[in-house]
Amino acid sequence: MATTTATITLSSSDLLTDNLSLSSTMSLYKHGTTATGLEQLNYHRAVIPTGTNFTLIQESAALNANPANYVYIVNKNTDVTDYVIVSIRTEVIGRLYAGDWMWIPYSDATTATAGVDDPSGNDSDIEIQAFTHDCTVEYALFHSGETLLTASDS
Amino acid sequence: MATTTATITLASSDIADNAMSISNTATLYTAGTDTGIVETTGLSRKKFATASEFILLDHGLANSQMADVTADKSCKVYIKNINDRGDGTKYVAVLINSIEIGRLYGGDWMFFPWAGGNDKDIDIDPLDATETTLEYCVFYE
Repeated sequence: MATTTATITLSSSDLLTDNLSLSSTMSLYKHGTTATGLEQLNYHRAVIPTGTNFTLIQESAALNANPANYVYIVNKNTDVTDYVIVSIRTEVIGRLYAGDWMWIPYSDATTATAGVDDPSGNDSDIEIQAFTHDCTVEYALFHSGETLLTASDS
Repeated sequence: MATTTATITLASSDIADNAMSISNTATLYTAGTDTGIVETTGLSRKKFATASEFILLDHGLANSQMADVTADKSCKVYIKNINDRGDGTKYVAVLINSIEIGRLYGGDWMFFPWAGGNDKDIDIDPLDATETTLEYCVFYE
């Protein structure tokens, strides 16, 4: 097992009449365990062209089998008008503008009958579309198993 | 305007061959600008002991703070399950418009942009009726 932590710090000196200072740290554990850490990680950097909604993270039965997965996405663009829309299945979660990041649990709660390549199109993929300009994103999936594709020439 | 920042640090000494440390800071701006967000719910706390799905953030409540959240505006949501982890099986599922995003186990938090809009409430669906406490905060324009 591995020991991985995610820490958030929210702070502002002038949003409220008093300082806002909030910090929280969580450890990334497998479902159904008290302290067994997730040991697998996918980390990517990609340029998302405008005009098309892409699958960023592919759903799979293995991800759903252990629903304690976590996703990190950051929009590395610097023009404040550039953004990506992040969706799950058919539902828009929200917009990540330049410099924004998000951290969510990802249970991959698939409800459709889907193969490893998701032929149904009705799934829990995490999708992304860039607007205004191409957007460079970095994203990570922390998990304890994903469905590997059998090589077509094997 | 206000200056509010959100920093994430992901750290592990053993998930890979080399130590991993990823850190990024976002300044919370209104949509498409470098003007800081000036509205927030402040930090809120909700305790419940029900196995039924309920609305945590209700876009459809007329004239409420969350009614201001729409897709063309900027909004960030922080939610934390402050329960103990226990045996690692207890969680609350977080949903938007009945689509499950993920599950917050005891001690877990999430931070994400929220598009809002009609029927796009953020719901909580607990695994069971275990008493659970969430803390949450919304930054919006």
